[in-house]
Amino acid sequence: MRFALLFRAAQRESRGARGRLAFFTACLALGSFAVVGVSGLARSVRAAIAAQSKELLGGDVWIRAREPLADELVAALDAEPDSERCEVRLVQTMARATASGQSRLVELKAVGAGFPYHGALVLEPPGTLDARLDDGAVAVASELAAGLGLCVGDELALGVARFRVAALVLDEPGRLDPTFTSGPRVFSTLAGFHSMQLEGVGSRITYGALLALPPSAGPAAEWADTLSERVPMGEARIDSHEEAQPQVQRAARQVERYLGLVALLSLILGGVGVAEIVRAWIGTRVASIGVLRVLGFTPREVLWMYAGHVLALATVGSALGSLLGSFLPLCVPRFLPELLPRGLTLGWQPLSILRGIGLGTLVAVAFSLPALAAVWRVPPVRVLRHEAEPLPAKRALTLAALGALIGSVFVAAWVQSEELGLAAGFTGLVAALLGVLALGARGLTRLARWLPRERLPASLAHGIAALARPGAGVLGAVVALGLGTLVVVTLLLVETRLSARLTSALPPGGASLFFLDLQPDQRAEFERVLAAEGAQDVRIVPLASGRLTRINGLSAEAQALVHGEGRGRWALTREQRLTWQQELGPDNHLVAGELWSDPQHLELSLEQDYAEDIGALLGSPLTLEFSGLPIEFVVTSLRQVEWESFGINFFIVAEPGALDAAPHSLLAAANVAPEREQRVQDALVAACPNVTVIRVRSILEKVSYVLSRSALAVELLGAFTVAVGLVLLAGVASLGALRRVREVALWKVLGVTRGGVARLFALEFALLGGVAGLLGALGASALAWAFFEHVLEFDSDVPWWTAPLAGLVAATLAALCGLAACAHALHTRPIESLRS
Amino acid sequence: MPALECRGLKKELPSGAHTLAILAGIDLAIEAGEFVAILGPSGSGKTTLLGLLAGLDRPSAGEVWLEGRRIDALSEDALARLRRGRVGFVFQSFQLLGNLTALENVLLPLELVGVAGARARSVELLGEVGLGDRLDHYPAQLSGGEQQRVALARAFASEPSVLFADEPTGNLDAETGARVLLLLDALRARRQVTLVLVTHDPEVAARADRRVHLRAGKIERIEFGRETARA
Ligand SMILES: Nc1ncnc2c1ncn2[C@@H]1O[C@H](COP(=O)(O)OP(=O)(O)OP(=O)(O)O)[C@@H](O)[C@H]1O
Ligand SMILES: [Mg+2]
Repeated sequence: MRFALLFRAAQRESRGARGRLAFFTACLALGSFAVVGVSGLARSVRAAIAAQSKELLGGDVWIRAREPLADELVAALDAEPDSERCEVRLVQTMARATASGQSRLVELKAVGAGFPYHGALVLEPPGTLDARLDDGAVAVASELAAGLGLCVGDELALGVARFRVAALVLDEPGRLDPTFTSGPRVFSTLAGFHSMQLEGVGSRITYGALLALPPSAGPAAEWADTLSERVPMGEARIDSHEEAQPQVQRAARQVERYLGLVALLSLILGGVGVAEIVRAWIGTRVASIGVLRVLGFTPREVLWMYAGHVLALATVGSALGSLLGSFLPLCVPRFLPELLPRGLTLGWQPLSILRGIGLGTLVAVAFSLPALAAVWRVPPVRVLRHEAEPLPAKRALTLAALGALIGSVFVAAWVQSEELGLAAGFTGLVAALLGVLALGARGLTRLARWLPRERLPASLAHGIAALARPGAGVLGAVVALGLGTLVVVTLLLVETRLSARLTSALPPGGASLFFLDLQPDQRAEFERVLAAEGAQDVRIVPLASGRLTRINGLSAEAQALVHGEGRGRWALTREQRLTWQQELGPDNHLVAGELWSDPQHLELSLEQDYAEDIGALLGSPLTLEFSGLPIEFVVTSLRQVEWESFGINFFIVAEPGALDAAPHSLLAAANVAPEREQRVQDALVAACPNVTVIRVRSILEKVSYVLSRSALAVELLGAFTVAVGLVLLAGVASLGALRRVREVALWKVLGVTRGGVARLFALEFALLGGVAGLLGALGASALAWAFFEHVLEFDSDVPWWTAPLAGLVAATLAALCGLAACAHALHTRPIESLRS
Repeated sequence: MPALECRGLKKELPSGAHTLAILAGIDLAIEAGEFVAILGPSGSGKTTLLGLLAGLDRPSAGEVWLEGRRIDALSEDALARLRRGRVGFVFQSFQLLGNLTALENVLLPLELVGVAGARARSVELLGEVGLGDRLDHYPAQLSGGEQQRVALARAFASEPSVLFADEPTGNLDAETGARVLLLLDALRARRQVTLVLVTHDPEVAARADRRVHLRAGKIERIEFGRETARA
């Protein structure tokens, strides 16, 4: 019965709550839209990958290694009943259109018959790969055809062989946007691949097998687990289709985690807005609350009644925002198709609506608790005497409200990030930022109160007086708008500085082109071509890969047990690439020992952190195995390396000549002016077709593009925080509407025109917005500066005009918003308002 | 046992360095069913005394007993529970809830106690005060006299044993005020409700069984017997 009564009372309280509902809805809807949009997007990406994983992988299981699959493994696969297998080779190599001589770095995929088992490639002319390809033909991605000016029937050189372009690939399921790959796709047959002769020393080929399992095999993941337990896998890794698209899955999780927190920020600002609205509302309700108390309602019941009302409004507001947000996953692929793998269709995520409503109401109720607690203090004797003193504040209640506030932010952050540490950090940061902004805003209110206004022009004096007015929601509006500005400006600053840095700055003396897989007998030809094309700072080093077998007299496995933590284990078990040379580059500094100082032994020089990881010291004996042949070395020097120089550097360098007899390739770097890069590449690919050319500039451009794209997403979400700030400002403005109606009437009676009144108001809001923007941008500059200085460790130059500009923009937006909210007041006739 | 009693009731407020005595020791016992009027010039402490007797405010010293129970030290919750159903109020400024209809205003205290047939009783009461056809009107749609009649209906709805009224006719013109007062007296008499009424209008006070005159926070004198002749 009690509950029913409270419910009814709360319901009656909702009468005439339309204005309140509007702002509640606006404040919470923006935040919950962002929260649900982000989580829905991430969820739907994962759900879509899970649902379409077979098509994205093209089969049920994918086995791969950097060397041909071990015989035992192949035998085991052959013995599998009813499973189908398709051999695959993957390699990055250069493709050259023989007609034009133009070349491109491509991702070659050589496949056996039957590829793919699930899903389908879209080819032009239509057909399957099996039907279109023969050993002298390739199918190329349409963007490669466009880039090289190729048509079906034209000739393409890959390695030492030439192929006819038999088809264009219009769509490949699971393929990422070109931005996220090293080059366009080319399909060939396995025999075609062999004819290219790319399998030289040091070439980075992935040997793989795609499997289609019979239905009797059960879930692919379990099948894969049993296989890897039963059969020694060697270097090979096995993935079932359930683990398809690991990068995208990981990205979706990161998006959910970090963007989720940015989205939460706008919800929290919505909470600040709700708190302001509730405070103003309770303020107008004190008389009613007094009557309720006299009629016998306990303070707790009154609190529950108003909390119930808040809960109802919050549910409506966040449900609306969440519902709209849940459709975001359906829109994103239309506007940002490059963010998703090809062929992935996203579905509606109705469940994510629950998250939005849950977090929205949690934040709204928690943030309005401190304001609601004022209900406790309304004395019943107020019905007899208006100015009766409020009852003493309940300490426990105040503390509980504060605890609920912080707790709710933490819980929401935890739900969003699923990481305790991140949630705690986020809560701390938000509390600190809100605190600093609130202090700033309070300081400004003080300043405005203290400032002598007599001599100023009337409109300015009025604006300053409005800032100085106690309460009036100034604090909340400044804090919310300030935090919004802070988020957006910080993002903009970091992103623009970082991309400028990435695209402009090849480090001086750093190489702009790298050449992989050069064979020793191609060296003369390579040098000739580069000299002819005017490349500078050409550096060529030999490159061999070996495996560490013994350190300090212990086997590498034993050493891994001792030094088996993290990087150490990785460094000890992985194939090591190393070089040998007489002199070290200027970006290497000896920190211990002497280079090539021991005539008795073969010597190694190790990078000092690497040496620490594997547990090697000066004088440690080390055995490396090259194609099964062990060679013994002694560590005679340790180096420090400036990795950021973009030079060619290695953890391990051997003394000159030590490995000339070992199978090796050459690695080269050169500096070429940007406009000549393509020519150098084309000439070299024509002369040495097996060499892979890596262009540093284009990689940096891609990184910078990806960065700016992800930054855009974060900035869009950040813009929501500014929007919430503006809504709050408008809400504060319209909550004071009654006062304003009287003010306007008075001014009009005094002879001020409507335009004049509008100017007065505009200035008032502009001042508020300007101050908020300025505070936010100052905070942003400080944050960005700290980020550059301490995280990225490069000199920052946050432009001085950031804060004034942000202040100006915020002022303009605030003035527009404020005017819109006061439009009604501006239109009232003086006589009407004086009557009421 | 008196329905309502106070002993040595004091209310003091800090005013600068020293304290200001608003009520300086009031002793009063009111019998069940009695109608007591409290009179006195403005600022003499009438409202303060009423608030203390009704348990809306806390005394600085002294005791208040309501139907044999000491109430001056009860918690806010206990006081609130005590008020439901036992104590009714009528105020000078009506104090209706603006977002509730006349009927809902009367219903509210009944819902709080949780009695059966609340609605029927409310409708009947509103009929009794002559507003049977205004059930669904909001306070803003009613005249002052009508609002005060709704307030009367609300005060009697939960069948209180004690009713407190602070200048119930203060905001009404003489004629309307007289009508409201007649109604109040009739309702009270029929239900045997104890009534404590604050006024500075001698004509209003004339209907009371007893008139307590306050001056500067003290009882100046007490008069007994209805002055029916002057009414
Ligand atoms: N909380 C308070 N703070 C300051 N002064 C108070 C307070 N409560 C009461 N007073 C003072 O105590 C005195 C008595 O007030 P009270 O309201 O009881 O008078 P009253 O007899 O009801 O007067 P009126 O006929 O004008 O309503 C007044 O002078 C009033 O200003
Ligand atoms: Mg009074």
